[in-house]
Amino acid sequence: MKRPVRLEPGQKLVLTANRLLDGRTVWWCADGTWNLHIGCAALLDADEAEALLSRASEQAQRDGVVGVYDTAVQAVVPPEPVTVREKIRAHGPTVHPEFAVETEQ
Amino acid sequence: MSIPVGHYQYDPIDRDFLQARIAEFEGQVQRRLDGTLSEDEFKPLRLMNGLYLQLHAYMLRVAIPYGILDSRQLRKLGEIARRYDRDYGHFTTRQNIQFNWIRLEDTPAILRELAEVDMHAIQTSGNCIRNVTADEYAGAAADELVDPRVHAEILRQWSTLHPEFTFLPRKFKIAISGSPNDRVAARFHDIGILARPGADGAPVFRIFVGGGLGRTPIIGEELFDSVREEHLLATLEAILRVYNARGRRDNIYKARIKILVQAIGVEAYREAVEAELAQMDLERYRLTPEAVAAIRSRFAVPQLEAPADADAVLAQQRRDDPLFDRWVRSNTHVHRDPGHIIATVSLKPAGGIPGDATSAQIARLADLADAYSFGEIRITHLQNVVLGHVRKDRLRDLWLGLSEVGLAEANIGLIGDIVACPGLDYCALANARSIPIAQKLGARFADTALQAEIGALRINISGCINACGHHHAGHIGLLGVDKRGEEFFQLTVGGRAENGAAIGTILGAALPEDETVDAIARLVDCYLGRRESGETFLDTLTRLGHEPFREAAYETV
Repeated sequence: MKRPVRLEPGQKLVLTANRLLDGRTVWWCADGTWNLHIGCAALLDADEAEALLSRASEQAQRDGVVGVYDTAVQAVVPPEPVTVREKIRAHGPTVHPEFAVETEQ
Repeated sequence: MSIPVGHYQYDPIDRDFLQARIAEFEGQVQRRLDGTLSEDEFKPLRLMNGLYLQLHAYMLRVAIPYGILDSRQLRKLGEIARRYDRDYGHFTTRQNIQFNWIRLEDTPAILRELAEVDMHAIQTSGNCIRNVTADEYAGAAADELVDPRVHAEILRQWSTLHPEFTFLPRKFKIAISGSPNDRVAARFHDIGILARPGADGAPVFRIFVGGGLGRTPIIGEELFDSVREEHLLATLEAILRVYNARGRRDNIYKARIKILVQAIGVEAYREAVEAELAQMDLERYRLTPEAVAAIRSRFAVPQLEAPADADAVLAQQRRDDPLFDRWVRSNTHVHRDPGHIIATVSLKPAGGIPGDATSAQIARLADLADAYSFGEIRITHLQNVVLGHVRKDRLRDLWLGLSEVGLAEANIGLIGDIVACPGLDYCALANARSIPIAQKLGARFADTALQAEIGALRINISGCINACGHHHAGHIGLLGVDKRGEEFFQLTVGGRAENGAAIGTILGAALPEDETVDAIARLVDCYLGRRESGETFLDTLTRLGHEPFREAAYETV
């Protein structure tokens, strides 16, 4: 059973996964698509995220993604993940600034 | 046709096997893409072919059996980096190479390209006997007693697709050396093998079991002192059978052989192995001189010829060029042939990423291997590259060639020769980033004269308790930990993987990332200020104990 999410003030949840074809980190957007850029991610309350996570996991194969889960972000523009791990997933390896996700189309 | 020096030459059976394996995996990939296979079903299949899913992309780990490549193979790795990845590869602490930006749908094509040069990604993942590692100076070092490569290849062939050992309780790592100076960390492997000549000249094998790092670091214990060559495979088979039958499968953290050996004791383990041997058909497993000779015949031997004045030429060049002399001091090792020398190419540029090489550097290394070392390259478990048979009078030309592509760093065995896992920048298991702290340390101690002054001092960094950076075995070890989302590093001192293997001792509470480099600098200052003539860091640590170093590390905390 999924443990309850405890969000701090100013935090929301986003859904994330890896793309099946190339493994790239992607974020779930309000229009139902998955995007490389966390700036497109839909900000969700805990209850909302639970329902959407269940649906997104069921649709993962059809949507071409793997390993859907939710993670907390600071609800700013663009959203900023709370943990170092998710920050690195969102922005790319810190040791290769030339690979920053922000520079990709 | 000339065959490559240094590694086993494939035959048609080997090549047919690889093609069949690729076709099988191609079908599995296709079924994954069309949804016939779920991710849970596909994951063990892709792992059997070296394909991981990491933070940003798939990662393909390619096997380099006993760490030896020929130039054609190395060139192919560079081409894969350029064509399928982001123009670089990462050499690992298990003598393999990893590509970090692989597309699932490209993987069968990459495996076909690898197969063109007799390479693959098998036994680089999963709960099987992993790629066997060996002494990076095998067949070249003056101190070597037995060339371990032939037996490493025999172990490779014995272990690949072994029907009993494909689903072990956990992964299983074997290292083999034929030198009295342990360069393979034999006592930190599931099985460590040290070969030496027996009374009749045939090799005998000292076997350690139950060593390992990870969350439970343990130094392997001697199981047998002198296993005869003919019984090597039977003995290993029996060791694995005992583990396979009695190793724990209920807890992934207690599933390695080291836990079993600790639980029942090495005496009981030995008795169990002997009982297994007693009921085995030993003739079936007998390694005959003919079988060994057949494998040996598929290794080409370098024709070592050098001018009589090769040594004198090198000596003069060293006198004429202090920078070259410094590199020779740190980056070479004595060859068994007096006209040749072993050169280690550092993949640890100051401020760089340990173990990384660009496709251009990889291609240049292949060219230099062709020009200076019979087209043979070795990857070390310390994430460097060795050219094993360089004529002494041509060593400076090699060094100049390396300088052109930023590969002439003079720091082997020194504080700049940092071992680091990929850490949280790539790895899905990591808790902290290893590479940035390695880069900061490399930059802090960039001065090669200072490094030479500090002397032998090895730093190992792991981004999590799985210890891929072998931090327990570092003279100074760093373990990255996550504290409420922040990166901290726990410091250990006194580890060593060579003869007299020891597990590093934790100095104290983990330090915030931004205080760690200063703390290590204070450790080094403590050593420099208190060492006696001729002492290494480990010597001073042994003489003084940990307390002065602990005080230095936590001076301002």
